[in-house]
Amino acid sequence: MLEGRLVRLRALEPGDLEACYRWMNDREVTHFLAMTYPMSYADEQGYIERVSSSDYTKGVSLAIETKDGSVHIGNISLENPHAEHRTAAFGIAIGEKDYWSNGYGTDAIVTFLSFGFQEMNLNRVSLHVFEFNERAQACYKKCGFQVEGRLRENYYAEGRYWDVIVMGILRDEFDALHSKTG
Amino acid sequence: MLEGKLVRLRAIEPEDRARAAAWLSDPEVTRYLTYRYPSSDGDWMAGPPGPNGYANGVWLSIDTHAGEHIGAVNLHRVHYEDRKAALGIVVGAKSYWGKGFGGDAVLTLARFAFDEMNLNRVWLTVVEDHAAAIACYKRGGFQEEARLRQEVYRDGRFLDFVQMGILRREFEALISKGGSDA
Amino acid sequence: MLEGKLVNLRPLERDDLDREFQWVNDTDVTRYLGMRYPVSKAQEEQWLNSRPANDFGNTALAIETKDGVHIGNIGLHEGQPENRKASLGIMIGDKDYWSNGYGTDAIVTLLRFAFHEMNMNRVWLHVYAFNERAIACYKKCGFVIEGTLRENSYREGRYIDAITMGILRAEFESLHAKGESDA
Repeated sequence: MLEGRLVRLRALEPGDLEACYRWMNDREVTHFLAMTYPMSYADEQGYIERVSSSDYTKGVSLAIETKDGSVHIGNISLENPHAEHRTAAFGIAIGEKDYWSNGYGTDAIVTFLSFGFQEMNLNRVSLHVFEFNERAQACYKKCGFQVEGRLRENYYAEGRYWDVIVMGILRDEFDALHSKTG
Repeated sequence: MLEGKLVRLRAIEPEDRARAAAWLSDPEVTRYLTYRYPSSDGDWMAGPPGPNGYANGVWLSIDTHAGEHIGAVNLHRVHYEDRKAALGIVVGAKSYWGKGFGGDAVLTLARFAFDEMNLNRVWLTVVEDHAAAIACYKRGGFQEEARLRQEVYRDGRFLDFVQMGILRREFEALISKGGSDA
Repeated sequence: MLEGKLVNLRPLERDDLDREFQWVNDTDVTRYLGMRYPVSKAQEEQWLNSRPANDFGNTALAIETKDGVHIGNIGLHEGQPENRKASLGIMIGDKDYWSNGYGTDAIVTLLRFAFHEMNMNRVWLHVYAFNERAIACYKKCGFVIEGTLRENSYREGRYIDAITMGILRAEFESLHAKGESDA
């Protein structure tokens, strides 16, 4: 269990299926995720089973839960950790829309990055974000991610191509921004 | 292929096993190894269960520059987060003992561990009475860290093992000083 | 059931799950153990239910106070029959029971079992160098510091040393004469 200020991050449980299924079929949520196709209940169940145990080789996917009321509001992940290069790909989805824009995502990200650098011993974490997702970009910047590039027309949705922004944060940058203890 | 001053380290091939089997049936060779039961097929040197890397460890045959297969060296128990691995070596061709071939193989593998695999620590254990090996590891920059009392039972008695380790920065300092030819 | 002075050591049971789950997700507890990643209840349940029976290679037991409160686990792992050695691991998950002699009693009880029933010759362990409370406890039980493994682990943003400690059967015998009270 990783403790942030507003949220805690815990392992995903079979009982989380209902909520995850609902989010992954909410177009307002998936609009911001690289998800084109509707997910079946079984697809989602398979996903939860696959990610419910974490280690360096499998990557880490955790449930974001509010500390106030223990509401499961979304999931967060570090995928494909690379052993030699010490890199990993970051992803987050806040599925409960009532909790958007209230600092929960930022707190979850900082808490999770701290784990990635301080416990997993990563050196770099990067992410992809769609150009139209400005709210997320602002949030990532607040957490210390820097824009590193723009993959032109790398994503297709709603009848057109979109650019994808690549952002990254290095361990030294994270340490400088966030005191080691939290 | 990893190039040392005296040796080359290469992937293990099936035909190495007959030689390995001969070495491992020689008590002069095995008395310093944690190898106990006779085996007909050199399985101890069969190599990794999958490709060389963090997951399976790194298992290599030692060749002289002239192409003679003289032993094997490995990194096992590779730890992703702690970035450490255990080193093991056997020089089975006894005519090459005491001539720096083992030391060169250790140094060459340590360089690979730090420079390519991005490890921070390499450690090993060696039986207390194997003075030549302990001296060789010391020349290669390994420091004695512990004496594991009565660690292993051999020839009717318990023997101490010496645990040794080298850190990345120590290895780099050693190399930049002109290197050890251990 | 192994009887100590303050605790009993009993097999782990399926209905220990809720406590186990809570402890392995408590960073106050896991920061001293080689555990990093959050564990799901489903995963913990699977671990608990699929454990093979205790044997020479691996033994895990629940630590219970004499009042029957399950406060942690203790085990012997990596048992090697030829070398007659194993590593010891302990977790007091219920923080209310820290620093009250329960861990010491559990360790001495398990060591007696290891040496007298399993016929071990050596029991060893690694402990993070910053865990001074544990090191003091292990010393009290008779473990001797055998060395410092430099930068052996990465935790909380830095490399930390591990202390390797060991106790031999003969040492245990002279410290804890049979039938006499301990620690």
